[in-house]
Amino acid sequence: MSRVWLPCGHYHETYAKDQGWWQTPVIKFKMLLLLGIVLLGVPLLLPGYWIGVCTMIGYTAMGALGVQLLIGYTELITLGHGAFIAVGAYTSTMLVLHFPWPQSLVDLGLAYPLSIVAAGFIAGIWCVIFGLPTARVKGFYFILTTIAAQFITVDLVLTQYVSKIGGRAQSIKIPSEAIKIGPWTMTGDVKPYLLMAVLLILMVMVTANLLRTKRGRAWMAIRDNDIAASTMGISVFYHKLLVFFVAGAMAGVAGAFWVSNTSAMSPEHFPWFLSLKLVGVILIGGFGSIHGAIFGAAFWVLVGEFLQMGVLPLAEYWPNVLMSFTFLKTAVFGLIICAFLNLEPHGLAYRWWQIKNYFNLWPFSY
Amino acid sequence: MELFLMTLVTGIMVGGIYALIALGWVVIYKCSGVLNLAMGELTLIGAYLTWWIYGSGIPFILCVFLTIIIGIILGIVTERIFLDRLIGQPLLSVIMVTVGLSFFFRGTAMFIWGPSTKTFHPAVFPQEPIHVGMLSITPVFFWSFLVVIALLIALVAFFKYTRWGLSMQATADDETAALSLGVSVRFVYAASWSIAFITAGIGGALLANINGLNITISHMGLIVLPAVIFGGLNSIPGAIVGGIVIGILENMTGTYLTQLVPGGIKTIVPFIFLVVFMMFKPYGLWGWERIERV
Repeated sequence: MSRVWLPCGHYHETYAKDQGWWQTPVIKFKMLLLLGIVLLGVPLLLPGYWIGVCTMIGYTAMGALGVQLLIGYTELITLGHGAFIAVGAYTSTMLVLHFPWPQSLVDLGLAYPLSIVAAGFIAGIWCVIFGLPTARVKGFYFILTTIAAQFITVDLVLTQYVSKIGGRAQSIKIPSEAIKIGPWTMTGDVKPYLLMAVLLILMVMVTANLLRTKRGRAWMAIRDNDIAASTMGISVFYHKLLVFFVAGAMAGVAGAFWVSNTSAMSPEHFPWFLSLKLVGVILIGGFGSIHGAIFGAAFWVLVGEFLQMGVLPLAEYWPNVLMSFTFLKTAVFGLIICAFLNLEPHGLAYRWWQIKNYFNLWPFSY
Repeated sequence: MELFLMTLVTGIMVGGIYALIALGWVVIYKCSGVLNLAMGELTLIGAYLTWWIYGSGIPFILCVFLTIIIGIILGIVTERIFLDRLIGQPLLSVIMVTVGLSFFFRGTAMFIWGPSTKTFHPAVFPQEPIHVGMLSITPVFFWSFLVVIALLIALVAFFKYTRWGLSMQATADDETAALSLGVSVRFVYAASWSIAFITAGIGGALLANINGLNITISHMGLIVLPAVIFGGLNSIPGAIVGGIVIGILENMTGTYLTQLVPGGIKTIVPFIFLVVFMMFKPYGLWGWERIERV
């Protein structure tokens, strides 16, 4: 998918403009409008439940962005990215609850923000460890190591060791007053949403900028043909480890965000299903595009919500439906993934690109 | 010593079931190049179908037979609807279709039959252990192993001596050449999915008799991934050896390591082992090394 066609009469005269953030003033205006909607419109206008839904969309999109970097931009197929979200979530929880913070930092409300940074870092390192086999292993053989990452991290390390720190229970209770950023405690619907929005915007900016640098172009060269990339002097192994670090760090930040949105941390929040779901999300959204990850996340979460709304009236006649609703949802998403692959293999982002081009080139689209 | 031998024998017998499921996996991969992540769910579906039919009082052998027939139909339908158009697409699309299928199968099975653990009632296999020398073997393992051996021999004979098996081998070797010699490749794809459903179904039915029937069966089906990787993706003997090795490894860990490390290690060890193993042999024991060019 190449760039969007510019409207008639717009030309770039320098390469810097060609790579610029805002291609035209109109685009800049539209983006600022979107920013306004995300930061002000949604929290002011939507009811609380739907703000929660938007938070879920953002959380899914944050996780999917890392997967997008790995699969969409470097073609390292990962089926275990949920593990790194879990690492981030547990790092943040452990740091906030058990780390001996100086009282002044806690009073300033800096403990949780600092733990987000640390979570990103540790998840990135953890991801690099599981990326090491890429030196020799490729294709499906590599996919197995990512599956192994999921089982080793979540089912062994987190469930058997980390969860047992400071108590016998499986899940770790997170007191809501401990999760504090500056003067604000992360309670209610709006504050986690705003935190999500800020983090997601930052992550999108980091990703978009990284892809404009030498590193980003090296990743894409590896995606297109790794042997050709290495003959051009790109150190394939180094760049693969780098993308693992970035993707793992993003997953870690997403996981650390999850801490503010839940009241108890449990390994059950990060099943293998989550990892597969993230791949499904970018598949629905479209490979190799940042907004694809967000579209996919929105699609996934919203379809789940609408399905629930559609099923509720049925419950009166068929109570079994509600009890096994999660299974029904799983089955429906399985069908959706298969349908997308067969009917719309480029994902929603491709459709969006076509729509934009249609309007940009209208009425002379040839 | 006796404990060691017992563990070894149990490992080999469970490994036999893994080998059977792994064989189904490799057949699909060899014939159509599809990496099937839905194998665990095929196992699940097979196990539930057998249990469901058994519940209506039909003898077990007949149940398995009926499951095989349903498996063949399901295999053909699955291949026709979901995978036919994806042949030759990139690796990721094909994998993701099987992931989608696995969501679908798992969701459907759980939606219909519910998450509680089911047992075969009345018990299919007798409870008293069989004594062979100084070993005592649970009959479930013993009979499963016999069934698995018979099936493995039957499948290998099928590939070697029947016309259909030969056409599947030809397709696995070179699709275009097979097409030009009049082999119906579409038939071969459908047949490979049918075989996968059959092996997964029988494996699932046997595993369900050993451990009881619930969602964890699909995790059992996932264990075949280390098995096929260990043997090498495109090697049928590799799948059999890999299955047995993984079975032994799993049971040895269960006997000796569980005291040292808290539970759950048993199912994870195959994955840890494989990650380390792949550092040394990236293509498994007998997998084809891919020679890559720009």
